[in-house]
Amino acid sequence: MRVVRLLVGKDLRLEWRGREIVSAMGLLALLLAIVLGATRSGPEAAPAAMWVTYAFGATLGFTRTFTLERDHLTALLLAPLDRGLIFAAKALTNWLGLVVVQVISLPLFGALFTETIWTRLPALAIPMLLGGVGLAAVGTLFGGLIVQARLREALLPILMLPVVLPLVIAAVGATTGILDGLPLWAIGAQLQLLLVFDIIFVTASFLLFEYVVEE
Amino acid sequence: MRVLLFLGIALMLVGVAWALLAAPTELFQGAPQRIMYVHVPSVVTAYVALLVVFAGSVLFLWRRDPRWDRLARSAAELGVLFISMTLLSGAIWGKAVWGAWWTWDARLTTTLILWFIYIGYLMVRAWAPGARGARAAAIIGIVGVLDIPIIHWSAILLRTLHPQPTVFRVDGPALPPTMLVPLVINMVAFLVVLTALLVLRVRQERTLDALAEALEGGA
Repeated sequence: MRVVRLLVGKDLRLEWRGREIVSAMGLLALLLAIVLGATRSGPEAAPAAMWVTYAFGATLGFTRTFTLERDHLTALLLAPLDRGLIFAAKALTNWLGLVVVQVISLPLFGALFTETIWTRLPALAIPMLLGGVGLAAVGTLFGGLIVQARLREALLPILMLPVVLPLVIAAVGATTGILDGLPLWAIGAQLQLLLVFDIIFVTASFLLFEYVVEE
Repeated sequence: MRVLLFLGIALMLVGVAWALLAAPTELFQGAPQRIMYVHVPSVVTAYVALLVVFAGSVLFLWRRDPRWDRLARSAAELGVLFISMTLLSGAIWGKAVWGAWWTWDARLTTTLILWFIYIGYLMVRAWAPGARGARAAAIIGIVGVLDIPIIHWSAILLRTLHPQPTVFRVDGPALPPTMLVPLVINMVAFLVVLTALLVLRVRQERTLDALAEALEGGA
């Protein structure tokens, strides 16, 4: 745990000094919200717009997961750590970045699409957290896979979006239900899928990560 | 290998001829229903190929033997080929019988998303050559199969949120023997052709690897 905290702290400190990833992800999210809102801004379009924004924000930010370590990845790998812990730290950092993006883009969705968002915040947090964890798990695994590939900025969305499609479908379903004022049990199936997705992909990524970073 | 290929093609000719000439015309759908004799074997073959990718990927990561990687790579190419055939034949059948090229049915959605995942697999192979690319592809091969049940589940949720008009479809196990026989012949034929092409492709890859190694050694 201490190791994970140290690694996350290091990445967050680096990010805080440069603020590159979060500002790029955040700006893209705001732009997407505006583009989607300008084309179709009814309340019924809000859930889809939110999740398209989060998914694209994630693919932009997560490409950078390991570029930060470009010259130091070997140093990180030489440290006597379980590779799973490196994954946990990177996924946690990515997830925190995504949460920042979700929070800062929320006012825009509230203003452009539907004000119901403000009255349903506590319930909305559930799919946003569950969905964010799944996006971070898959994105960190694939982000690690393609550090040395050509055209990695193009490759990550191509690999990531089909795999996370079930997550996006379930998250949009859950968000729609919440904004329509349904009680939580009515979207139980969607939340269950999000939870199962998170469990499967966090576990699989944790186990497979060893093969990702190996030289 | 050559024997397998000829056997597969011969069986396919018998199966297709049977399906077109001898099998009865379906009462409600008419002639377009005969697409089934290509569509169903394609999808079965595609999923078998994806399972080979999965097995090859797991064995490659575990045993580090490049032979398993060549098997997985070759099976992924054929998997994409058979998924494409499934989607195309399905779209034509759908247009003829449902009046729509596409519907967000659970099975259709799952197959389409798998097509994208394995296209991604092939792109990684193209853009990240060498041992790293092989490991990256193996992980995608594993994740892709893990995703199959989840995609299917999510597509069922999608449909319950957005109800579709109930579509008419013939369900597999209720087929009469006159239709089942040519279907089974074609299914066997497709699987034999898959095996033959797989062996052929793995041999090509082996030659390619040997050639690359020899060139490297000589330089």
